[in-house]
Amino acid sequence: MNSAATRLKRRSSHPGLERQRFAKWKLARRNIDYYVLLIPGLLLLLLFKYTPMYGLVIAFQEYNIFDGVSGSPWVGLDQFRKLTQTDEIVNVLTNTMLISCYKIVLLFPIPIIIALILNEVRLSAFKRTIQTIIYLPHFLSWVIISGLFITILSPSGGLVNTVLQWLGMEPISFFMDNRFFRSVIVFTAGWKEVGWNAIVFIAALAGIEQEQYEAASMDGAGRIKKMFYISLPGMMPTIIMMFILRLGSVLDAGTEQILTMYNPVVYQTGDVLGTYVYRVGLGQMDYSFSTAVGFLNSLVGFILVVGGNFVSKKLVHRGIW
Amino acid sequence: MKKRSFSDWSLDIFVYLILSVAGLITLLPLANVFSKSVSAEWAVISGKVNIWPVGFQLDTLRNVVTSSVFVQAFAVSVFVTVVGTLLSIFVTAITAYPLSKRLPGISFVMVLFIFTMLFNGGLIPTYLLIRNLHLLDTLWSLILPAVVNVFNLLVMKSYYETLPEALEESARIDGAKTYAILFKIILPLSMPVIATISLFYAVFFWNDYFHPMLYINDEALKTLQLYLRDVVMQADSATAASKSIDELMNMSPEGVRAATVVASTVPIICVYPFLQKYFIKGVLVGSVKG
Repeated sequence: MNSAATRLKRRSSHPGLERQRFAKWKLARRNIDYYVLLIPGLLLLLLFKYTPMYGLVIAFQEYNIFDGVSGSPWVGLDQFRKLTQTDEIVNVLTNTMLISCYKIVLLFPIPIIIALILNEVRLSAFKRTIQTIIYLPHFLSWVIISGLFITILSPSGGLVNTVLQWLGMEPISFFMDNRFFRSVIVFTAGWKEVGWNAIVFIAALAGIEQEQYEAASMDGAGRIKKMFYISLPGMMPTIIMMFILRLGSVLDAGTEQILTMYNPVVYQTGDVLGTYVYRVGLGQMDYSFSTAVGFLNSLVGFILVVGGNFVSKKLVHRGIW
Repeated sequence: MKKRSFSDWSLDIFVYLILSVAGLITLLPLANVFSKSVSAEWAVISGKVNIWPVGFQLDTLRNVVTSSVFVQAFAVSVFVTVVGTLLSIFVTAITAYPLSKRLPGISFVMVLFIFTMLFNGGLIPTYLLIRNLHLLDTLWSLILPAVVNVFNLLVMKSYYETLPEALEESARIDGAKTYAILFKIILPLSMPVIATISLFYAVFFWNDYFHPMLYINDEALKTLQLYLRDVVMQADSATAASKSIDELMNMSPEGVRAATVVASTVPIICVYPFLQKYFIKGVLVGSVKG
């Protein structure tokens, strides 16, 4: 009775809150049409995005396809323990980090340089032509790009090896050689995306006020000085944000790319987390173990992106959300 | 006017030189593959073909594009791209509309959508889901999971938010209902962003090889990218003689591979001028959404 009295009292002491909640309901009911529109999208989202998240429980099971999630035995953290005892994982992690770091160190600065250089071009026809050309590879699928480079790098009559032989060197089978495979991966990734990735920086440059350049010209600054003291600092917030976001996807060394390019000969240098999950999961049908690896991958990726966004907001007051 | 200084000249030379080299590096692999696809077989095998065709012929290309496997794979890809894009754009357009309104519970729904950009169940759980739904070896396995792309949803939503509120209010005063407003007023006004997003979806469906590789085993349902992957990977290991190559006897695997790559690239090149224009718009809208 005592508690009922206090409840009554509490309710009456917040009449505004109660009325607010009621108003919200009324607002929602009056706009029920809008909510109906959400149904197809939400159903697809729940089915194809959230159900697989529930499916992650098989990382804690010894899943087999006939018994399903409900029938398979629970094994706790055994799959994760197995992971630490697998020799391959060290190799896979090394490859992932190496390829990712090469891609970041070598490929991240190029779009910035392209944007800065394009900004110096006065012939707009030339500028447009170059932009049209360097954006093109972004629209080609990895399979096509793999086909292009297997052709151009072929040891029997490929263009690059023809040049090498002409220079008196031995032909190299780039896709079958552990010494060169990672370089091929990094180069082809650059070929596909550096032009396209320049767009964000070109837009950032376009946002810098012309007065700044004019003022600098008055003070006698040359074009190179203006590039370093106006253009580059003007792009800095964009550069920092893009860099932090790029770091967030460090665990994805290019799974879809590598799956079109690698073969057992270069597993030693080309097998990364994503391709390993694919090979073990769907190739060897080791569903639970593969899901455990994928789970750790997603989890670390999640932490990196959320953390990166936090840092980006603190540093340059810009983030992806 | 001031005379141009030496450093000014040298900077210009440097700028034009670097960009020309970048352009050439981009075009070289394309030119090389194109030349191989239209060169004589002996020239391709002996490595005589570099940038220009040697012993021009169109037989390889013709044989590739008229082979039954290629035609079938092409048709499957067209189906997936057309149906997938139409369905995606419809669902994206109607889902983004309520998300652009300030209504109770909408921010929670937004969180539900955005969370899937940051975290996912991963390869195997998704594969098992498709399997349990009996979607393996159906083209729906390629379409349905991709229908709602959260990035595109956000682009669409931020476009709706730029439309003037007064437009809807006056229609409502005239007695129009929500759906009439959406389909008769909002969507016709949103054609530019719909074009952009349609192209995003179309390029995704056309270029996707990963999901067909996971979900499609049936030869008759192979998409163009999956077929191309077989050709590329098999011609790579010299021993394997693929079915398609058997069919096109007397032709070098190198030439066939080049011709298949060219035939699959041409559709993208044909629509590229539109792609470039609309994609840049989409990317910039997406990056300033804040």
